Amino acid sequence: MSARPEFTLHDLLYNSVARDPQRTAVVDGDAEYTYEGLERESSALGAALAEAGVARGDRVGVYMDKSWEAIVAMLAASRIGAAYVNVNPLFKAPQVEYLAGDCDIRVMIGDTPKLEELQPKTIQTAFYRGAKPEGHAARSYVDVADAMQGEGLKEDRKVSESDLGTILYTSGSTGMPKGVATSQRNVVVGAQIVSTYLENTPEDRILSALPLNFDAGMSQFTTSLRAGATLYLLRSRLPGDLLKALRHHEITGVTGVPPLWALLIRSGRSIRENPLAHLRYLANTGGRIPQANLDELRDLLEPAGTRIFLMYGLTEAFRSTYLAPEEIHRSSPEQGNCIGKAMPNTEIMVITKEGKEAAPGEPGELVHRGPTVAMGYWGNEEATQKAYRPNPLAPPELLGVERVVYSGDTVKRDEEGYLYFLGREDAMIKNQGYRLSPEEVENLLLGSGLVHEACAFGVENPAVGQDVIAVISLRNGGEEGAVDRIREHAIKNGPPYMVPKEILVRDELPKTGSGKIDRKGMSSAYANG
Amino acid sequence: MVSSNGNARAAIRGWLQENVTGGRDVPNDEPLIENGVMTSLQTVELVVFLEDTFGIVVEDEEFDEENFGSVEAIATLVESKAA
Repeated sequence: MSARPEFTLHDLLYNSVARDPQRTAVVDGDAEYTYEGLERESSALGAALAEAGVARGDRVGVYMDKSWEAIVAMLAASRIGAAYVNVNPLFKAPQVEYLAGDCDIRVMIGDTPKLEELQPKTIQTAFYRGAKPEGHAARSYVDVADAMQGEGLKEDRKVSESDLGTILYTSGSTGMPKGVATSQRNVVVGAQIVSTYLENTPEDRILSALPLNFDAGMSQFTTSLRAGATLYLLRSRLPGDLLKALRHHEITGVTGVPPLWALLIRSGRSIRENPLAHLRYLANTGGRIPQANLDELRDLLEPAGTRIFLMYGLTEAFRSTYLAPEEIHRSSPEQGNCIGKAMPNTEIMVITKEGKEAAPGEPGELVHRGPTVAMGYWGNEEATQKAYRPNPLAPPELLGVERVVYSGDTVKRDEEGYLYFLGREDAMIKNQGYRLSPEEVENLLLGSGLVHEACAFGVENPAVGQDVIAVISLRNGGEEGAVDRIREHAIKNGPPYMVPKEILVRDELPKTGSGKIDRKGMSSAYANG
Repeated sequence: MVSSNGNARAAIRGWLQENVTGGRDVPNDEPLIENGVMTSLQTVELVVFLEDTFGIVVEDEEFDEENFGSVEAIATLVESKAA
């Protein structure tokens, strides 16, 4: 078997098709799809996208629940040299319309009820899943099921590893999401690295429990594709469905964020009675697991042979470090929140404020160097310059040639080379595995038209990471039931994790010396009761 | 502990109003999961409330989207256990 060199996402597909075309690639509910089917249907959808006018370099939106169609869509876009943009299915119309404008999405593949919520003429052509959408969100409509059964591409377009592969949107401090432009090479190397240390094989049955718009969620798809393994799509976030998926499909690998493990632990009684013997590994990302939960998780799973990997990453460079299962004891708070060592093929530098490499034990910023460093922020040169900077430790002859990512996280390194997380520089809120900017929450509340000033911040809550708390003042002194209406507006116009747990009303918000709203002051006042 | 399970729908709706929707009453057939009304962690809190209020135990495998998709579905589960 001579494998193709791995340059693009669809090269990973061809290798797995060549290895075993009849192997199950994806399981979605009761339906199973082979690698051969993935090749055929992504070719057909690719041809239909090209027919709809998608050119090399264009962006194709994917706005649907996690599904077979969403998987096919990514490969279809890749094969015609377009970039896929997986839109968080929890997003409501205002965020989606913003995204479509920000990266100029003209063709979108989506679920009918979601497409129907969008403003008229948001997009040119919509490939819908379900009944034909009512309304005029798009100028023309194509049934995605028909498109996937149509005639395939005569051949794939010429695509190189330097092409834009996908844009991953994360919460931005301007109050709207910002897109991390990620090359084909970034995507492929990310899959190589992760599948190497998780030792994925064609025998793996990998659970996709995270959303595909999240870099760490896309990773279960790309690693499974590369290994030629089987990917099981899980949409539910309730513990009973998680437990049943792990059991009935004899899942061998699961990756998730801390709140998912809180749900798994809830099924502890059942797991103790009937251990998850097939589960080879569990990988955590998107924040620290509360120590009590990690202890319980280890107690539940390790006796049956499950290995637990703790990962740390940032969308701007995909994944950065992991703590190997054998070293997991180092992650405890007493040991100082160890995040492990750099992933394979990656270098993590600790850089002081003076731009020098920190000595062991000395705090500095985590700076990521390696082939997963993304291209930059889409259409935002200013933000790109700030996070993507020249390698500070490059030889003078090569200064400015290579760009590395400044994470904004403060860490230190010990004598043995292990990295320890110390804190973050920005005000990002971590809620249920999502990284959320306070400005985005404030923007959502201000959009109700009832709010004069808003200030959002995170308050530690081990169960979810941080709770979102908002302090507001009301326009015109407020009216009866204003807070309820603001909350309803937020629920209707934003994803659930962006809706504040508490909305507190003040006559006026405190300001700093420079006249800005004093977020730090209010946050610590709240924390101190 | 409330033993009369005829109140299941009212009790669930009251809990949602107080803890989730900010005062809005949720119709019995509104899809709670699809519409993103409740997060999974709020669902966990709801189960604790149901277990305490009705003296029932929700088994690990019953805690799924089928049983927790709407007020009606949850009430049906509660009634099947409290009967």
